[in-house]
Amino acid sequence: MRESLVNRDVVAQTDSPREYEIMPHVSLVSIGGRSIFDRGRSALMPIVDELAATRKKHPIVVGVGGGTRVRHTASIALDLGLPTGGIAQLIGAMEECNAVFLNALLAKHGSIQMPRDHFWELSMYIDNGMIPIVISVPPYHFWEPPPEVGVLPAHGSDFGLFMLAEVLGMKKIIFVKDQDGLFDRDPARHEGARHIEKATLAELKADMPPEVILDELLFSAWENARHVKRIQIVNGLTPGALTRALDGEDVGTVLTKESAS
Amino acid sequence: MSDVDQQRQLSIASALEDATLTTSDVKFDYDPVAIMPDVRVMKIGGQSVMDRGRTALFPILEEIVANKDRFHMLLCCGGGTRARHIYAIGADLEMPTGVLAAMGGYVPMQNARMLQMLLAKHGGIFIDEDDFVKLPLYFQMGCLPIMTGMPPFSYWEKPGKNGRIPSNRTDAGVFLSAEFLGAPRAIFVKDENGLYEDDPKKNPKAKHIPRISAAELIERDLPDLVVERVVIDYLTRARFCKEIQIVNGTERGMLTQALEGEDVGTIIHA
Repeated sequence: MRESLVNRDVVAQTDSPREYEIMPHVSLVSIGGRSIFDRGRSALMPIVDELAATRKKHPIVVGVGGGTRVRHTASIALDLGLPTGGIAQLIGAMEECNAVFLNALLAKHGSIQMPRDHFWELSMYIDNGMIPIVISVPPYHFWEPPPEVGVLPAHGSDFGLFMLAEVLGMKKIIFVKDQDGLFDRDPARHEGARHIEKATLAELKADMPPEVILDELLFSAWENARHVKRIQIVNGLTPGALTRALDGEDVGTVLTKESAS
Repeated sequence: MSDVDQQRQLSIASALEDATLTTSDVKFDYDPVAIMPDVRVMKIGGQSVMDRGRTALFPILEEIVANKDRFHMLLCCGGGTRARHIYAIGADLEMPTGVLAAMGGYVPMQNARMLQMLLAKHGGIFIDEDDFVKLPLYFQMGCLPIMTGMPPFSYWEKPGKNGRIPSNRTDAGVFLSAEFLGAPRAIFVKDENGLYEDDPKKNPKAKHIPRISAAELIERDLPDLVVERVVIDYLTRARFCKEIQIVNGTERGMLTQALEGEDVGTIIHA
């Protein structure tokens, strides 16, 4: 017990190819902030209906993004010169508002907001057919590490939700956005952007689109991850796309950790 | 396609309104403000100090108390042997990194509570993450705020490339506290005079290093280090905390010298 935890050999001894899967039967669904919530009722209600309809079939945990208010928060905070940890501390509040909105809309279908790290209540919710809504931004707060590049806190909501799924041994994450998944360029800005139907993580990393709609850190964390096998990005503005994704269909963009063959 | 996607988002005009936040090339004129740069952010080692009990800890506490009206000190605790035991059992149970990080957080919390009980009569006050914003009050009142060194990443701690020991432990948390507060230096109180070319506990002939850059340290690629590897990495990108100082708390007077800003022990600089 006296050995050093910074010694590489000691750390490597704790590696394992068969890490325990805590809740492998649950999937995580993330509802975009800017892409869905900021469009209001017309975009959100169909998704609410789909979540309510599929909850009995598929055990899910739901997270939300913060959208334009997060951007406004960050731009004001940057202008004021708040340190990285201070900006990170502020951002979660804007997402929480969307989580409360979603909970209000889904409450009669059994949704419940899970406080921060109350992971061990999840089995109760899931077993009772409820829809837990979790926090998205990881609680790094004042302790957000200085970013490798740029000035913004690197650990955003996509990353936070990814980590939540990974630590609980989930296999599948579905990101609901306002595009049919990933493109080689932002289709909102470039005509003729090419849609990516399927890619492995290695393929995506080798040829990363310049404007990808998920946090970059998510992809580097995925490289070292043990559990999440599939990340799917679907268009929430297309009726039924989320349901089809939950049913296991290849709609939108399907990213896999390893190739299927 | 339905027609909702024709509808524009209800958007707030801001410098980042249409920026692709997920790409790292957001350009912004950013001039960060130091929040409380005079605070001496100190880590009291878990294994190196707390686990050695009274002999190691009491002289350090005496020095802290003697300096308490001269400096604003934030005391953060390391974990130590029980944290290692948690990691060993947790890893054996095939628990993921995030669970190990969450469980590993309990031990430095215990250590902080021990420290608080011992320092209560001198104004020692236990604070948690949510009390961090009240630091100005505690200092105004002449208190000695004491908290865990562990950063609150817990279940959200990233799995590492090798092994499942969380990469961000109490060294990282203490460093990041100093960086957030805008302190130029974080002080790590341990039981050795800083950095050596090999583990001095295993190799008594190991050579002491008084000052070294993070880049040099990374270049040396030592199998063992005196601080968590991520700290070396953060140091190179930090805005404020450009140095960490490792001092021997068991050597009388060394901590006081460090508080006064003297270059004792080992300085690792950005």
